[in-house]
Amino acid sequence: MRSIDIHAHLTPQCFIRAMRENREWHGVKPGEMGIGPRNSWTPEQRIDDMNSLGVDVHVVSTFSFYYYYERDPQVIMPMHRECNDEVYQMTVDYPDRFKGMAIIPMQDVKLAIGELDRCVNTMGFVGAMIDDHVNGKTYDDPEFLPLWKAAEEMGAVMLVHQQGGRTLVLDRNPNYHLHNTIGNLVDRAVTFASFVFGGVMDACPDLRVCLCHGGGYTCFGAGRMDRGWQVRPEARVNISNPPSSYLNKFYYDCLTHSEPALRMLIDTVGIDKVIFGTDWPADMAIDWPVSWILGLESLTLDEKEAILYKNLENLLGI
Amino acid sequence: MRSIDIHAHSTPQCFQRVVLAGNDWHGMTAADGELFNPRNAWTPDQRIADMDSIGVDIQVVSTNAGFYQYDKDVAATAAICRDCNDEIHQMTMDYPDRLSGLANIPMQDAKAAIAELDRTVHQLGMKGAMIGDQVNGKTYDEPEFLPIWKAAEQMGAVIFIHQGGGTIGTKRQPRYHVRNTIGNPADRAVTFAAFTFGGVMDKCPDLKVVLAHGGGYACFGIGRMDRGWQVRSEAREHINQPPSNYLDKFYYDCLTHSEPALRMLIDSVGIDRVVLGTDWPADMKIDWPVSWVMGLQSLTLEEKEAILWKNLEKMLGL
Repeated sequence: MRSIDIHAHLTPQCFIRAMRENREWHGVKPGEMGIGPRNSWTPEQRIDDMNSLGVDVHVVSTFSFYYYYERDPQVIMPMHRECNDEVYQMTVDYPDRFKGMAIIPMQDVKLAIGELDRCVNTMGFVGAMIDDHVNGKTYDDPEFLPLWKAAEEMGAVMLVHQQGGRTLVLDRNPNYHLHNTIGNLVDRAVTFASFVFGGVMDACPDLRVCLCHGGGYTCFGAGRMDRGWQVRPEARVNISNPPSSYLNKFYYDCLTHSEPALRMLIDTVGIDKVIFGTDWPADMAIDWPVSWILGLESLTLDEKEAILYKNLENLLGI
Repeated sequence: MRSIDIHAHSTPQCFQRVVLAGNDWHGMTAADGELFNPRNAWTPDQRIADMDSIGVDIQVVSTNAGFYQYDKDVAATAAICRDCNDEIHQMTMDYPDRLSGLANIPMQDAKAAIAELDRTVHQLGMKGAMIGDQVNGKTYDEPEFLPIWKAAEQMGAVIFIHQGGGTIGTKRQPRYHVRNTIGNPADRAVTFAAFTFGGVMDKCPDLKVVLAHGGGYACFGIGRMDRGWQVRSEAREHINQPPSNYLDKFYYDCLTHSEPALRMLIDSVGIDRVVLGTDWPADMKIDWPVSWVMGLQSLTLEEKEAILWKNLEKMLGL
């Protein structure tokens, strides 16, 4: 059985080299960002680990710490280009094991479209990973529509993933890792809502959005979103169907850390929309992801195959 | 079959009389009362007539969350709370078989909050208090609140959690009613986490906390909280059991607006922890709450009876 992981990150070696040589790197000063042990692994070490886990393909995305949307796009654009070039080289060196997911400077939509186009159309990337917001702007903001249109036309996947610990929960309670364990999931539900209530999914019916961490609280919370749509005119400004009717327009990785939650996700969005994503090599990753999926008693073998590889084979054409 | 609703609000008539005459009431004005909802103006008699029409036997009445007013001087808030609580007390005297009470207490001052809780529980026969998810930005793992939990535990008073003011969703996405439809359940998950990771449930094992809106995302999101507890030392600072072990220490109302979500809640926390809560008379309420619960195909008759009245009969001694 094959397995393709859409949610696997990279700390670029070009960054690690600069830090080790005590060089500033696109405005990032030595010591500004820590490097965990697994984050410094070479592509060869990564493949060894993939072999031990039974993962055949990583769709590699540069870590979300490198979004840097708040900085000058003229500084960040070359950083992202260098990150993407490194991911590209990995896909050239190991074409059967790696596919590329770009990082793009969302603070400048024109530049973001340009880099997405370069990565997808000249380097064979499958799409780009983006934050849940850009300096506080959510994706219902009209300034992003040209990007969704461009991604839709390219067939590029937009993989939505928060930046580090800067989620909505951080301001309420910074303790106990809640900014991640609750915050990631809140942020993803708000992003689902922004795309849906904002009318983006109607404006771009073929846009492929993949929500990391199982789409967060989206599927569980859709009933209350529907009720809001029914009773509040401001929830119906852009859409004439309830938000739950958009659940099957998105893709969701399987990173729920819970079998009942994954079962509810499948039952809510449809088995053809749930794909394999592990968050390698983070501490919040699924430790033995292929074994975990294969061992789930509430999933059929067909469902396990759909999640582990068939859906991503279809979606990405690999 | 009986039905007891723990989640039913009142906009005090004493407030309405003053503000509708154009005057200020303890610093509050007509804008603070959600008076755009005509049902908020209803008298106790009109309330009883509506309860009859929807088959609700008893409401445990709480003053609307707009009357928390935790950011005011404590003396002003305490005066607001007393007026609100005295009016609810009168309602319970006039309709002892139909109405019971939850107090409003000035949470910004633990001593004043305990004093009002004591007065309302011991002198006015109230069942506990409704409080926000946070008090001027402080969550309930803050040690300053511990005396309140200890006092409530000793009194056997129920602490009913219900957001007030802005939720964590408000800051990111102010449109489409997302502050409520995602914000309320997100806030409730953070409150579950603050009580649990903060060690409050270990220190107060008999504290009765009821989480409104089905506890929000707490049950669906518990797997990721457990993973955070396993891999992050800061999540284990106060507890040596995973957070999922605490799910059955709380109570949850059934206000999920979703049958699969309610089913997951029951399966996660236990049927003896789920109680009827409707959010009467808000637009986000369950329209026909008793009929809705009775009609759910995935619940047994015993489960429906437990939710509709048996659990609350036992918890509140009604």
